[in-house]
Amino acid sequence: MLLEFIVNGRGHKLEVDARARLLDVLRDKLGLTGTKEGCGEGECGACTVIINGLAINSCLVLAPQANGKEILTVESLEQDGELDRLQRAFIDNGAVQCGYCTPGMLMSCKALLMQNPNPTEEEIRRAIEGNLCRCTGYTKIVRAVKEVVEEK
Amino acid sequence: MQQDLKYVGKYVPIHDVKEKVTGKIKYVGDMEIPGMLYGKLVLSSIAHGNIVKIDTSRAEAIPGVVKVYTHENTPSTLYNSHKWIAGLEVVKDERLFTDKVRFVGDRMAAVVAIDRDTAEYAATLIDIEYEELTPIIDPLEALKEDRVKIHEGSNKIVSKEIKAGMPEEILNKAEIIVEDDVTTQKVHHAAMETHVCLTTIEANGQLMVWTPCQVVFQVRLIVSEVLGLPLNKVRVIKPPMGGSFGGKGIPVLEPVCAYLSYDLGKPVKLQMNRTESIIATKTRNATIGKVKTAIDREGNILARDIEMLIDGGAYFTNAEAITMAMGKKAFRLYKIDNQRYSGEAVYTNTPVGGACRGYGSPQIHTVTEINIDHAAKKIGMDPVDFRLKNLVHPFDKDPIGGPDLGNARAIDCVKRGMEAFEWKKKYSKPNDTGRFVRGVGMACATHGNGYYGAYQDYITMDLRLTEDGEVILKSGIHDLGCGTVTTMIQIVAEILDIPPYKVMATEGDTLLSPFDSAGTQASRVTFVCGGAAMKTAELLREKLISYTARIFNCPEEEVIIESEKVWHKDHEENKLSYGEMVVKIQQAFKEDMHMNYTYQSKGNPAVYAANFVEVEIDTFTGLVRVLDVLAVHDVGKAINPGFVEGQVQGAIQMGIGFALTEEITVDDQGRIGSNNFSKYHVVNAPDMPDVKVLLIEEGEEHGPFGAKSVGEICTVPIAPAIINAIHHVLDIKIQSLPATSEKILEALRGKNKR
Repeated sequence: MLLEFIVNGRGHKLEVDARARLLDVLRDKLGLTGTKEGCGEGECGACTVIINGLAINSCLVLAPQANGKEILTVESLEQDGELDRLQRAFIDNGAVQCGYCTPGMLMSCKALLMQNPNPTEEEIRRAIEGNLCRCTGYTKIVRAVKEVVEEK
Repeated sequence: MQQDLKYVGKYVPIHDVKEKVTGKIKYVGDMEIPGMLYGKLVLSSIAHGNIVKIDTSRAEAIPGVVKVYTHENTPSTLYNSHKWIAGLEVVKDERLFTDKVRFVGDRMAAVVAIDRDTAEYAATLIDIEYEELTPIIDPLEALKEDRVKIHEGSNKIVSKEIKAGMPEEILNKAEIIVEDDVTTQKVHHAAMETHVCLTTIEANGQLMVWTPCQVVFQVRLIVSEVLGLPLNKVRVIKPPMGGSFGGKGIPVLEPVCAYLSYDLGKPVKLQMNRTESIIATKTRNATIGKVKTAIDREGNILARDIEMLIDGGAYFTNAEAITMAMGKKAFRLYKIDNQRYSGEAVYTNTPVGGACRGYGSPQIHTVTEINIDHAAKKIGMDPVDFRLKNLVHPFDKDPIGGPDLGNARAIDCVKRGMEAFEWKKKYSKPNDTGRFVRGVGMACATHGNGYYGAYQDYITMDLRLTEDGEVILKSGIHDLGCGTVTTMIQIVAEILDIPPYKVMATEGDTLLSPFDSAGTQASRVTFVCGGAAMKTAELLREKLISYTARIFNCPEEEVIIESEKVWHKDHEENKLSYGEMVVKIQQAFKEDMHMNYTYQSKGNPAVYAANFVEVEIDTFTGLVRVLDVLAVHDVGKAINPGFVEGQVQGAIQMGIGFALTEEITVDDQGRIGSNNFSKYHVVNAPDMPDVKVLLIEEGEEHGPFGAKSVGEICTVPIAPAIINAIHHVLDIKIQSLPATSEKILEALRGKNKR
């Protein structure tokens, strides 16, 4: 099938297998390997991207479902060499250890802040409930998001 | 303790954090080599059986399939992937592809194809005809059943005893004896990155292996043993790694992938999906523990007897090492003069045991710390007071002749934690009535610092001051995401008085890194490798001072070295940068400002921790929520307090899972129930409390700047602390982990019948 979509602000027309997962299209066809696979069944959130403003597991999205959509991956966060506030806060708060869950975690948090610039701690925890992290215990991740919220 | 530290004791972000937050970092799964082929494993679907026939023809007929491998066309060389250093005696019972099935997940075959989809599809077309044998799932069954043999010899593979004093005699005549039986389950490490390996053959015959691993020299040793290649023809490189927790400590895919590349002369990538990672790598060993403690009315422990039965799973790996490792811990937390530990390990037709954060400590401490609480309760004593009465003191000796405990601050952990947590108030509050009840519990633990006293423990480091005044540290270290690289950088930066960003430290590469005897195992990295970094940097600093003195034509005492500058004490106006001095020394003496040093560990002190926890239990559903955790740790000195906190907070998440939700379930036919994250429950953010960390920093003689380990012990006390809280609140007894809602409801029903 012909897949037409916008990824990180750029339009793409790609010939892909209609059974292809968005995760694989992003990684294999567009070289956007920031998006990770951790379970392949939508439980770990390592593959989270933003589709039309919503945080979604790209391992559960098939190519036809991505047609005509606007997609943001972790690679979109840094703009003109400038890190996003969230990325900065993750660094300053030690919210990154092995880094494998980080792209998905950032995209879930980004989607949250796009919809709700003033989330409570509970809302932050809910927003990343589908993102598993084995390294941090989430404490510093939550702290990082809170810092971004409080900065404003 | 050293004062006025510039870089040690401060939070510095992990060295590769920018690549990680931008998604630019390349894990092995993200790496590609032109012409790269894709491998896919075929795992057995039965737990025990002989192979009648493997038919690969349907798979081979698929266009794009390059070759199919089974036991019939691969080396039959036996190995034990647990072996990390030449000369270590091991039981070898594993091969690349098995010729007899020993668990659901045993490696039967691999397909290599031109792309991932083809490899995965073809793997489903391999037809295996089995002759099924009775599986042995229960370790107790394995202990007594020897008619059905999993390997050629007995199913009982290890039997060890450690003893101090005369425990039997005291237990026989003791007035008060407290007994507990507790079983612990198999657990998956759940690193977010699944197991993966990329290998290729260079034109010069060099076999290249990129693998997220914990011991590059171990991977090299195993690959070289299995493939029959000289060590210098195998080059293992440790790239960025998406977590390990011991799961990537023992090579799994590396020898397999290396063989596929070697046979085909082509690059091959082999990656597991989550299910394969859960069932076919390694697991935390399940255990069945029995403990018997004799106490007196005043709360003194008189004697103790511990029996642990360890489920080794289908292959030997580290069964012997872990049996000993857990036993030794029992002698280093409380002062118990009369104690016996007996450990046995068995083969079962279940997923294979291996290294897992804590290496036996979570299992044995769960058993003994639950028992300690029961002992206190038996004589009506606060469990904290009971512990304070019996915990070891600084500089106590190990009663079984192990390395000295060093500056053992177990009592400080408990005392400081008790105050910060307001233990007395919370513990003595009246029980809640109604559906939701809250209460507190606590537990302690000990762990080691490397291999000193048991195995070879040394590392060589190579440190060089460059012509522009920056630093390169070359060593075979591995950053698993814990901040090892940055920790080494901070230590070197402190000694050489240079900002951390000017120090570049490389990770393990068996061709280019100086040798390291043991890798990232045994909680040795900060203590031993950090000690090496400190010593090597001190020697380089001395060398720089010595040559500078010759340049200035003055005694060494008159040389000042500070903030990247050197000068003669009377000529402050004449400061030279490190780089300028390096060039001067090169020109004058043809001498390179580098230091290569082999550092041997000088001790193996103990570390201590106490966890205090508050839980809320829904007595209708049996669900337990952890509301609050205070983790107190005797770390000697935190090189990077942010990293230490991060280690502890993550480990608490792992420990809560161990206590309440995580289990690799195996049915009586050996089939794995919880084979993906939808069924294997890793604790997520809403269920995690905000973990508070309190550090005791009293310094350790042989640690760099006084530092000792934290990365493993921090997952140990939380599980017994939670179980103790449940016991205290509900007045029930949980005898097997995880304490699921079903078990809690069942215990509550049992209590109501009492």
